[in-house]
Amino acid sequence: MKFIHLADVHLGAVPDKGCPWSAGRGEEIWETFRRVIAGIRENPVDLLFIAGDLFHRQPLPGELKEVNYLFSTIPETHVFLMAGNHDCMRKDSFYRTFSWAENVHFFAGEKMRRIRLEKPRVTVYGLGYEHQEIREPLYDGVKPSEEDGFRVLLAHGGDENHIPINVRAVSQAGFDYIALGHIHRPQVLVQNKMIYPGALEPIDRNDTGPHGYVEGTYEDGLVQAEFVPFASRSYQKLVLTLREDSTQLSLEDMLRMDIKRQGARNIYHVVLRGVRSPDLLLISEKLKSLGNVIEVEDLSHPAYDPEALLRQYGGTLIGDYIEYFLDKEMSLAEEKALYYGLQALLETSRQVK
Amino acid sequence: MKIKRLIIRNFGGIHEKSMEFLPGINVLYGENESGKTTVYAFLKSMFYGLRRQRGRAARNDAYALYEPWENPSVYGGTVWFENGGRNFRLSRNFSRTGPSSELLCEDDGEVMDVEQGDLDGVLGGVSEVIYENTVAVGQLKSVTGPELVKELQNYMASYQGTADSSVDLGRAMQMLKMTRKGFQVQADRRKKELAIQKEKILAHMNYVRGEMEELKEKRKALLEDAGDYSLEEEGGTPMDGRIEELARRKKRLNGFMAATAAVMILAAVLLGVFLTEGIWPVIAALTAGASALTAEFIMRRKTVQEWNKRINMREKWLHRREKFRWNMESLRESYREKRMSLGNLQSEYEEEEETTAQAEELEVEALNLAMETIEKLSGGIHNQVGDRLRRRTSEILREITGGKYGEVLMDEALHMSVNTEERIVPLERLSRGTLEQIYFALRMAAGEILCGEEEFPVILDDVFGMYDEDRLRAVLRWLEKEKRQIIISTCHRREMELLEREGIPYRQILL
Repeated sequence: MKFIHLADVHLGAVPDKGCPWSAGRGEEIWETFRRVIAGIRENPVDLLFIAGDLFHRQPLPGELKEVNYLFSTIPETHVFLMAGNHDCMRKDSFYRTFSWAENVHFFAGEKMRRIRLEKPRVTVYGLGYEHQEIREPLYDGVKPSEEDGFRVLLAHGGDENHIPINVRAVSQAGFDYIALGHIHRPQVLVQNKMIYPGALEPIDRNDTGPHGYVEGTYEDGLVQAEFVPFASRSYQKLVLTLREDSTQLSLEDMLRMDIKRQGARNIYHVVLRGVRSPDLLLISEKLKSLGNVIEVEDLSHPAYDPEALLRQYGGTLIGDYIEYFLDKEMSLAEEKALYYGLQALLETSRQVK
Repeated sequence: MKIKRLIIRNFGGIHEKSMEFLPGINVLYGENESGKTTVYAFLKSMFYGLRRQRGRAARNDAYALYEPWENPSVYGGTVWFENGGRNFRLSRNFSRTGPSSELLCEDDGEVMDVEQGDLDGVLGGVSEVIYENTVAVGQLKSVTGPELVKELQNYMASYQGTADSSVDLGRAMQMLKMTRKGFQVQADRRKKELAIQKEKILAHMNYVRGEMEELKEKRKALLEDAGDYSLEEEGGTPMDGRIEELARRKKRLNGFMAATAAVMILAAVLLGVFLTEGIWPVIAALTAGASALTAEFIMRRKTVQEWNKRINMREKWLHRREKFRWNMESLRESYREKRMSLGNLQSEYEEEEETTAQAEELEVEALNLAMETIEKLSGGIHNQVGDRLRRRTSEILREITGGKYGEVLMDEALHMSVNTEERIVPLERLSRGTLEQIYFALRMAAGEILCGEEEFPVILDDVFGMYDEDRLRAVLRWLEKEKRQIIISTCHRREMELLEREGIPYRQILL
């Protein structure tokens, strides 16, 4: 028995508003979902689990029809679907009145339900969100009944406000596989058994790293499941380490090369580290134009040695200034303030001798 | 602190040179370029080390400047000094191959560790920059009057606000403000972009609201048009009553016709059988019956026709009602969909609000913190140093000008002026000679106040060039009275000649 498990597709989301590449991202998310279905058409699987948040917001009838059409093109595959916190089945939700294709099994309502199929022999337990937040641990006490075949729990949540999950209790409740959703970064809680596939496509800048779905098999009570990278791009952190002889241009070259090496499609969060020459004025905005750069975080600092400067400048304003900051646990802002002030005081000083 | 003696083994252009100093006035005499600056650099390097800069800066740094060309493995010397009542000997070698340092307290023979900071302790916490600001008094660099005034004002302001004459607080703050401005511009641009995004969402929302209004209008129009359609699932039609009535009438007429025919036949039969009245009554009965039947038949046909028409009307009416209901339902669905879209847009709009915290805010916060801290600390220094420095400068000025100039004043905008016996004179109106005297007074006052308890020697490097004889005499007399260790470094003989003439003891050191 073959299955695919995915979650948090967030159809309808448009990530990185205001960035030049944002406009295409919304359509890209749909396209990747279509590619998954097309892939199933090519290489059919028996089961498709979608563990919540298929939609970013409340689905509109047109969107439901589109998704239902896609499901209808893989009639041999049983689709198990639930509403998550983002697309929860509110009182006015179109989920309530929508009639799905025959192969789609939709978990409606926050009461635990069981859907049993004879062919293939599979029992899926699950529920659907009717509210944006559910604080009760609805999954912790669920146990599958004694029956043969593949026994699956389809679950969404796992944090304080979205059905807290006791991983130990749920993983040992007797399910063959627990198909999780809600956490956007892929995460294996129990090997081959309890897995967050992560968002199919990364949805915002925090969803760093690879994204995709989980593909698995169930044979004679044995589950094999592994992550398949599938997203069209990823968010990556790119650290550039400055040296005292770095210049704006050398930094731009460095970034250009790194982006070329790691893929121009990806979206980068650039972090500057290391030390730079005190008279180098960095124009970090310019770095943003060299690729899909969503943010430039400057953690580098001028090549000053505050301890040595404190000795040298003791008893003067500069000495007092360093002392003021070194005397305490510095926050990021305070550390930056130390170097900004030092740079200003030292770089503008009159050359007396 | 008093410097007693020094030996320069190998430093810059000076080799194996020994010098002894008095606790009072010393005159270091030599031609230009004879190495007076080297002696100063040697002293400073002995007390504070000679750090090598990294990278490109190393080519022109002090280390490279004074590194001897010959025998560079010996690069340094020894200085004997007294500080806080104790006598020390400090030897150093700055060579690349084997740098070393040795600090010996000659009174108790204790060998101290320079690397571990023992020398810092001996120097009583006077840092390198304080040393530079107090020990070395150089010439005023400015040539023209206005520049000189500015230079002097900068000195005073920097001392008062930072205890370091080289710091330019105004420019430093300006630089921080410019940097902050840069980030603010970026943040503003971002905010504007965000506002545009939000504006777009709002426009979209308004569009959807418009569509919803339109749907409402359509519904209203449909309802008005509908007139008597009932919206309830089951409900009769307006034709129902009439149709029933016609059906009843048809039935009744059917009955009448049957009865009429029966009566007619019965009458004809009875009259015929008994035939008492002849054939005519039979014919009359049949004729009457036939005409009654005909009338009834016509009536029935009319009823059936109307009934058919009404049935037809009712079907049309039902069809229209169905269409109406279907339209209403479709409008309702569209309306629901629009309302859902509107809700989705609303939450999209709210999410935009949440993502405003940006990197620039951290930078602006850091820059504000830097500026606030500099201002606060500078204020603190001003409280400790500012007025004391001003008062002591005034005192020294009064003494070296024989009371002609008194109080030195400085206003908020850092403009200086001097109070004479009669009036307040701005610096711009004073002669170069007087400005030099104010400078001298300021530097001597700074030397006293910034060093703390232990007074350091003062090296006056060619500062009396612009002094006339009266002024020079007054200054030398004052120096003698103060009993500080003074090293007058000069390429003129006039200081020595005057000291001789005035009978002021001094030591001459020839380079």
